[in-house]
Amino acid sequence: MIEHAGHLPGLDPEALSWRYASYSAWGESVEIALPALEPTQARDLCEAVRRNARVRLKQMPTARIVDAIDAAIARLLDREHPLRRKAEHLLPIVTGYDRETVRLGLTSYLKTFRRPQLLRFLAEDFANPAVLDGFQPTAKGGFLRAHGPDLLLHVWAGNVPALSLWSLICGLLVKAGSIGKLASAEPLTAGWFASLLAEIDPEIGQCLAIVWWKGGEEAGEARFLKAADTVMAYGNNATLAALRAKLPITTRFLPHGHKIGFGLIAREALDSRKAPTLARLAAHDVTRYEQQGCYSPQMLFVERGGRVSPAEFARHVAQELAAIAHRHSRRELAAAESAAVAGWRGAQEMQAMGGTAELLGDPADPWSIVHVEKPEDLSPTGLNRTLKLVAVENLDEVPALVAPYRSFLQTAGIAASPARLFQLSERLGEIGVTRIAPLGRMTAPEAGWHHDGRFSLLDLVTMTEIEQSAEAASEGFAPYVD
Amino acid sequence: MTVVTQAEIVEALLDFIALPDATEAEFEAMALKLFAWQFRNNEPYKRFALQRGRTPLTVKRWRDIPAVPITAFKDLTLSCTPPEAATHVFMTSGTTQGVRGRSYHPTLAVWSRSMLLNFRKRFMRGRERIRMGILFPDEKALPNSSLAHYLGLARRECGTPDSEVFIGANGLDLDRLLPVLAEAEASGEPYALLGASYSFVPLMDALERQGRHFALPEGSLILDTGGFKGQSRELGPDEFYDGLSAAFGVPRAACINMYGMTELSSQFYDDGNAVSHPVKSGPHWVRSRVVDPLTGIDLPQGQRGVLVHHDLAHFNSVSAILTEDAGEIVPGGFKLFGRVDGEASKGCSVAVAEFLAAARG
Repeated sequence: MIEHAGHLPGLDPEALSWRYASYSAWGESVEIALPALEPTQARDLCEAVRRNARVRLKQMPTARIVDAIDAAIARLLDREHPLRRKAEHLLPIVTGYDRETVRLGLTSYLKTFRRPQLLRFLAEDFANPAVLDGFQPTAKGGFLRAHGPDLLLHVWAGNVPALSLWSLICGLLVKAGSIGKLASAEPLTAGWFASLLAEIDPEIGQCLAIVWWKGGEEAGEARFLKAADTVMAYGNNATLAALRAKLPITTRFLPHGHKIGFGLIAREALDSRKAPTLARLAAHDVTRYEQQGCYSPQMLFVERGGRVSPAEFARHVAQELAAIAHRHSRRELAAAESAAVAGWRGAQEMQAMGGTAELLGDPADPWSIVHVEKPEDLSPTGLNRTLKLVAVENLDEVPALVAPYRSFLQTAGIAASPARLFQLSERLGEIGVTRIAPLGRMTAPEAGWHHDGRFSLLDLVTMTEIEQSAEAASEGFAPYVD
Repeated sequence: MTVVTQAEIVEALLDFIALPDATEAEFEAMALKLFAWQFRNNEPYKRFALQRGRTPLTVKRWRDIPAVPITAFKDLTLSCTPPEAATHVFMTSGTTQGVRGRSYHPTLAVWSRSMLLNFRKRFMRGRERIRMGILFPDEKALPNSSLAHYLGLARRECGTPDSEVFIGANGLDLDRLLPVLAEAEASGEPYALLGASYSFVPLMDALERQGRHFALPEGSLILDTGGFKGQSRELGPDEFYDGLSAAFGVPRAACINMYGMTELSSQFYDDGNAVSHPVKSGPHWVRSRVVDPLTGIDLPQGQRGVLVHHDLAHFNSVSAILTEDAGEIVPGGFKLFGRVDGEASKGCSVAVAEFLAAARG
């Protein structure tokens, strides 16, 4: 079967050319047709989206956009809906994640975009979300109005299912004409969502497009990069640097680089009753999306002095990873991924030979844990269910161990008492951690999350202020002036 | 178990290397004997083998002798004799994390015999000597480089007296090299250029800038090794060998690639690069496997995995090495496809490569 990706309003379907990419996993395969636009088509599309956004989207009340998104999400949450069925069928083949992971991940993720959650998104960034619809009085006097960009370009990356919806929805909420570039590793969800929106509210459907080009190469890219007012991009630092270099200086660039998540487990969380549960939650965070998410934990710092020692806790986590492997098989790894896991394991094995590390899990197991007793700096693992557990005397040591890697920090999972949660969060915040989650929720950020510590909506808009004095001065020119 | 001394091992290996060929059973017997010796005398390797549950008592096949990942040479001192007793220490050029892998040699007797016999057979092909131009610093400049030793030995034992090294403290000495190449071209006597793959790139570039090219006499040879390692532009195999052929008039079939590493004591060769990814093979005292990197299990012929080399000549350290090179077993040897690395993260988590790149700054 061939699945056509993208959403290209206004372009003649007959005139499109397609690139075909095959994906296979779990004994099935699918061919996906990715749109390859000519430079003129790219230009026409940018102009159309910009024009439509100006005359349609920007004139709509935010409430209408929220309703349309809510309706689209409701359909995607409905397991009987044909599109949801298609997503559950195709996403495992394309991304390699097992069916249950995809199904559970989709549901919990999509739930963050229902109407109440969307309102929370808006409330999170705007004291008065009505500034998106018209001038609103401000406390200091005068009036304020927020405008999203005319043309917002999203450059997506990675295989985490439906990740693209996050920025796409943020763009729509601020009424930005939006063009999204699909990630080859998950080229489906954004296009499906856009088409669904177009079906629900055809006017909104005219204001967004989902495209594809081969990263960094095609002539089409230049058109998009030149046309956009704001570019929101995901990828590694090399990709982001290359992209930034191609943008006009006046274009606002909002990069989201790769990150390493880590966990902190306090001694008070380590008794014989709590430790096994905690181990299950940690194992869940490790397994969900195979540590491909920016929020996924790669290292756990475990405090000594609890009833359960770090070494015992490592065994609990190992047991849970083994148990999860029965329910959720690990994705089949590409050669480079296997090599990364093997390379990491090999290096840990060397440490283990020196007696300074303990390696749990056989080479043939779909998971590995290494446990070290000496404090160690934050470092990435081999991903795909490979975890390093570092025993520390006191969790207060951890900020110093992760601080050198500020640009890679984002999510920390913490299991500690309320007082220590705040105390640790204070120190972690200082060194660049932007999100504290409980174990078990590291891969599922809440609605309205400040991604990488930024404002998802506020960063997109520009404010227009009517100063109080301007309002006062205008009084002098009123027809009814005395 | 009879106690074996280093002298006995060296003698047994020299005899083994002197054989015209070795059957699977002969190789296995020698490999097991050597494994027992390394297990007893190389403490970190013993711990490694024990961790894998492999001891001389349980291992019955050479394929089950545990292969040490190549990174271990950075972290561990893998030597059967005290490292301070080594007459030569070869170090890798890799500067990942600033740590270099080391191989300790208490004697180069086996290393040299292995190198020469195989070099004569695969490169010299029955010739006694050939005039050589060497595009790599000599042993004085790089005393810890196994390649400098290799090329030094090649020049002394198989080069004519007027063979020269053309890389000095100031890099490639074009002013000396170009007249020599012109002279060789005019003389009608075959000439051999040997060096690191990346040394050939600036030479080809310089010739192209000057609009020059040579037609070295028939029978001339080129030997390159090691790839580009970020030291020059990266060229695809076709671009590289077409370039060599055009610059020096040496047909691609006479351009031989040597594949070796600091962590071994023997080398592999192809029989020319008329086509890309030619079959490579080693001498009868080396055997190669291709394994699944995760499980270490042998992959069937034709399936791509990671290369494991079992080099009996590397007696003082560890004979079985798990490389980071992608390969495929084919009739007559294996095909080599460069390093196994690349983007390990398909998502937005940081993977090791990106992290290291950032740490290096």
